[in-house]
Amino acid sequence: MSELQSLSAFDGVSAAGRYGNPNGTAGVTLTERANLGLATLEVRKGQTVALAEKVQAMYGAALPVGPVSASGTGVRFVGIAPGQWFAVSETLPNEDLAGDLATKLQGLASVADHSSGRAVMRLEGPAVRDVLAKGLAVDIDPSVFIDGAAALTNIGHIGVLVWRDDEAFDLTVFRSFAGSFYGWLQASAAEFGIDVVT
Amino acid sequence: MRITCPYCGARNLEEFTYRGDATVKRPDSLDESATEAWVDYVYLRKNPAGLHKEFWQHTGGCHAWLEVTRDTTTHEIVAVELASKGAEHKER
Amino acid sequence: MSQINRLTGKGLVDHSKTVSFQFDGQHLEGHPGDTLASALLANGIRLVGRSFKYHRPRGILTAGSEEPNALVELRTGARREPNTRATTIELYDGLDAASQNRWPSLRYDLLSINQLASPVLSAGFYYKTFMWPASFWEKLYEPMIRRAAGLGYPSKQTDPDRYEKANAFCDVLVVGGGAAGLSAALAAARTGACVILCDEDFVLGGRLLSERGEIDGQSTQDWAKSAVAELESLPRCRIMRRTTVFGVYDGGTYAAVERVSDHLPEPPAHAPRQRLWRIVAKQSVICAGGFERPIVFGDNDRPGVMLASAVRTYVNRFGVTPGRNAVIFADNHEALRTASDLADAGVTVRAIVDPQPQPSATAEQVATETGALYINGIIDAVSGAYGIKSVRIKDAQGASKTIDCDVLAVSGGWNPALNLTTHLGGKPKWDNALSCLVPGDLPPGMRVAGAAAGQFSLQACLASGEAAGADSARDCGFSPSAPSRPAPTEDGSPVAPVWYVPSSRGKAFVDFQNDVAVSDIKLAAREGFRVPDHVKRYTTLGMATDQGKTSNLNGAALLAEATGRHLGAVGSTTFRPPYTPVAIGALAGHHRGKDFRPTRLAPSHAWAVEQGAVFVEAGAWLRALMFPKPGETAQETVDREVANTRTNVGVCDVSTLGKIDVQGSDAGTFLDRVYINGFSKLAVGKTRYGLMLREDGFAMDDGTTARLAENHFFMTTTTANAVKVSQHLEFCQQVLWPELDVQTVSQTEQWAQFAVAGPKSRKIIEALLDSGQDISNEAFPYMACGSFTACGGAPARIFRLSFSGELAYEIGVPARFGDGLIRTIMRAGAEFGIGPYGTEALGVMRIEKGHAAGPELNGQTTAHDLGLGRMMSKKKDFIGRFMGQREALNEAARAAIVGLKPLDPKMRINAGAHLVKRDAVANAENDQGYVTSQAYSPELKSFIGLAMLSDGPARYGEVVKVCDPLRDYETLAEVCSPHFIDPEGERLRV
Repeated sequence: MSELQSLSAFDGVSAAGRYGNPNGTAGVTLTERANLGLATLEVRKGQTVALAEKVQAMYGAALPVGPVSASGTGVRFVGIAPGQWFAVSETLPNEDLAGDLATKLQGLASVADHSSGRAVMRLEGPAVRDVLAKGLAVDIDPSVFIDGAAALTNIGHIGVLVWRDDEAFDLTVFRSFAGSFYGWLQASAAEFGIDVVT
Repeated sequence: MRITCPYCGARNLEEFTYRGDATVKRPDSLDESATEAWVDYVYLRKNPAGLHKEFWQHTGGCHAWLEVTRDTTTHEIVAVELASKGAEHKER
Repeated sequence: MSQINRLTGKGLVDHSKTVSFQFDGQHLEGHPGDTLASALLANGIRLVGRSFKYHRPRGILTAGSEEPNALVELRTGARREPNTRATTIELYDGLDAASQNRWPSLRYDLLSINQLASPVLSAGFYYKTFMWPASFWEKLYEPMIRRAAGLGYPSKQTDPDRYEKANAFCDVLVVGGGAAGLSAALAAARTGACVILCDEDFVLGGRLLSERGEIDGQSTQDWAKSAVAELESLPRCRIMRRTTVFGVYDGGTYAAVERVSDHLPEPPAHAPRQRLWRIVAKQSVICAGGFERPIVFGDNDRPGVMLASAVRTYVNRFGVTPGRNAVIFADNHEALRTASDLADAGVTVRAIVDPQPQPSATAEQVATETGALYINGIIDAVSGAYGIKSVRIKDAQGASKTIDCDVLAVSGGWNPALNLTTHLGGKPKWDNALSCLVPGDLPPGMRVAGAAAGQFSLQACLASGEAAGADSARDCGFSPSAPSRPAPTEDGSPVAPVWYVPSSRGKAFVDFQNDVAVSDIKLAAREGFRVPDHVKRYTTLGMATDQGKTSNLNGAALLAEATGRHLGAVGSTTFRPPYTPVAIGALAGHHRGKDFRPTRLAPSHAWAVEQGAVFVEAGAWLRALMFPKPGETAQETVDREVANTRTNVGVCDVSTLGKIDVQGSDAGTFLDRVYINGFSKLAVGKTRYGLMLREDGFAMDDGTTARLAENHFFMTTTTANAVKVSQHLEFCQQVLWPELDVQTVSQTEQWAQFAVAGPKSRKIIEALLDSGQDISNEAFPYMACGSFTACGGAPARIFRLSFSGELAYEIGVPARFGDGLIRTIMRAGAEFGIGPYGTEALGVMRIEKGHAAGPELNGQTTAHDLGLGRMMSKKKDFIGRFMGQREALNEAARAAIVGLKPLDPKMRINAGAHLVKRDAVANAENDQGYVTSQAYSPELKSFIGLAMLSDGPARYGEVVKVCDPLRDYETLAEVCSPHFIDPEGERLRV
């Protein structure tokens, strides 16, 4: 373990507490998901089938072919582009996930580590869709944006990858945008009240 | 305007970046006699009133380069395809 | 005075509660459910403003958003908003409004003298009058006109309120919640379709609230209430009140503004004032209703002259009568209801004036029932400047009669509110039977119902709304039930409208808001204007906040007559978004002030703030510009940072540079093709500088690329071009060479990267690395790269690169360790005198070294111009190769990079200055190039510059003149090599 202090993207940006409308239950709850393993994998030329089989064998997940996510043992694979996935893991934290993927998928996919490059947060609560609608120009009606659905898009001029996990929404933005994104979120959630949990 | 990305689905215009005519083909840069073809490729563009096949990139989404067939007089979009379609089968 | 014109027991206002408000400082009362207009009328106030050009006293013409006259300044202080329509302002307790365009007071307005000058203030008056001298325009005419004209004044303070944007998606969007809109929404929502119903009003119902009719045995007001209740009970139906759909865009996109808090004294805590909606709808039904047309006659703008339908709205919806003695002037039977409703409310109806050529038995009967005189004739004159007192009526036989009255209800028929159908270029078409324009070709997915479609009767509204709602739902894949309402039968034969009364006395206004009179349109026609859009620009007919909703067609009719054409052939002006005015704040939403655009913060940002750094914007990034110490000037800070880096060691956050991970078995080939120089033969563990061209042969970006493994490269780009280069690479991958096995992804954010530069930099890097790793000059020479572990196991990439020209390393760690690493570097470097340096010092050092950067990569320079022509490979294909070889891009006479040293070292070489020969005159003919970058070099104790100079590299030693006429500055400088310091690069290799 390095002696360098590890800081999450929201360190110094957010502080736990209730913000905005103080009345009643908060409309939305924000939880930072720090220290996740995050990596992209892009299929090597001509290896689409082999990669899918290997991922199935190694991680127990069927690589999705569109903007949806599939969970295997410890790793969620989110479809972000043709032949590209964003992998997320709690059990293989930080740089471990990219290392693990690169080893197991060698020759089948190019793997790049993003565990430090993204801020990941979970938003949930009764007003979560109303808050997200203030930035997300994607239909997130439960009948359209089903469990596991994903979208790579923008919120307030900031690129965002969002996927639905049951009734929660996980959002990732570039680490450097964490402060600006948090500002948008605070403003947008204010009318409903927001609980920031750390 | 909205463009239906073959991967991401229908998205607003501001997620896309325009490049231009998608019918032009890059000439061979080692063919020293290809001057005319290169001038055409780099500088000369048609400006059709009606259907136009053009490159757009879904920069706000999956980053896929798209070939969009658009009616320049109505903004109606007739077809959207991945520009890399069939790449797997191209000769090495 | 307390609500003398309130009708007890009538209307939808809450008579049991009182709301206090002020108008021009006068304290007044109204009821919840009132608009400012209805409350003013309830208090007997008819005069509410002065007109734009002639400062004529004006009152309230309408009861809706089409109001041209009753514009007020709403609220005070920072929230003051000019030109707000009193007819749409929802009354709230404490409301404070003021009339506009009058001084010193509404009643005594000095500039009303303009009325006397009205013969001069005709159409095109500005164009004709203020022609010369030209200099007078800016200094005299424009300020004078601006003070005299115009309406209200903005607060000029920062808007204290918050605005936001939101997105919505639906199957069916219904615009307008009147009879047609409610029917359409019910028909669609009952199928289970996702429906959004928007209405600009705060109560749904449209004209159902304003009329005394019946639907299915219920009053129209009650029917509207129950329809809304049913819609609210349907889970996939969303009702948006106080929401105006103001624009239609391609792809089923609709813009709407929701006035979240405008009906309150100020927005509640945490709520925005307004919310801008982008609604994407598969289908839409436009049920925007209609606009009643005034009849144009002399002095038709006197306060108290009001549209007949508006009178009914005030009586039936607000329980207010606009007066006690009414005259009706209408060319159609629908307006007769105004007489009935007024009489029913106990208001005296003095006369019904019918301008049609033949007398009407129906109208005569209504007159008898309401106790009014029926006169088949016209309004000949109006008296009462500040409020109508009487009208002179001339009958068909030419006999005149003067009748005292305080309200004149006027109707010239109806126009469909078809504005939204034309935003995408649709052209309205003329309907001969209805004598109005009706929607023409519609955008995909749009239907129109009710009055907006020319279906004016109540039955037609209900039936057409239901049909359009059902059809829209069906097109979205839902199954509507069979229609419940039969299409209505024609109700009587239509009559030709009466557009204006030519014989009446006084100025006859077509457009009240812009004071455009009949005479102006006739003048425009005489001067050759024939197209309504041209007449609009010339006369201002249909401009400003109401966009001619009550005036366009009357104006077109007058134009048709004046030019001897049929009105159907003349058409109308083009309607564009927005339908009604939209606050700029709503369009900006969250993105104002510091949130104008998002900001990116580098990994060392918090630390740099602690050090007192001054920051600079580089794209979206904030970068440390310099780290001043107390008492230093900016120049002293930069000099110190440069000197310390050159003598000891400095550290700079370079994380903002674009970093692109390039992998795949063809990665080397790919890089060969995107750079002018080769990379496939670069050894693993080495880094190389590369230049990218555009396909036209001009430089696009530069940077270094490291080979981390056989099939793994790591590219850097300039901060400014990171995104552009990524997109370019993706184009090459996906479009040009999809057969290559290469994968790219941006890793800019993953790595916190610091340049540690200076003679003592190696000692610091060695101290950071975990033991057993060798970065000696032999093991890790200049341009080497590799993966290491640092500070107890943190993964670290080290690149022996130098932008500053000193022995230097770039060390990268995962960004989560970035803050920790900069603090550790500073601790480890303390004994070597380490100091941070910002982008300003970095800039000085790269200029001293002659490295090209943004100012040199300016889109006009080639590899030759940058002194890199020889790097262009002759053998391989690469982007820009063919066009980059063109003779003109490589000839010696082109401006190419040189250094400039002023003869007097204290003289600046201003960036942007142009170069001419020493004795030449500074003019465009003698221009030989330009200065791209300038700096003060502490090492040379001289200002220096980089420049692009014609045939530059052959002219070292020559003295040229640096000319900066914009700053009135000239100096002489010697042309030299751009490599001012350590030209052989010896410091890099130690």
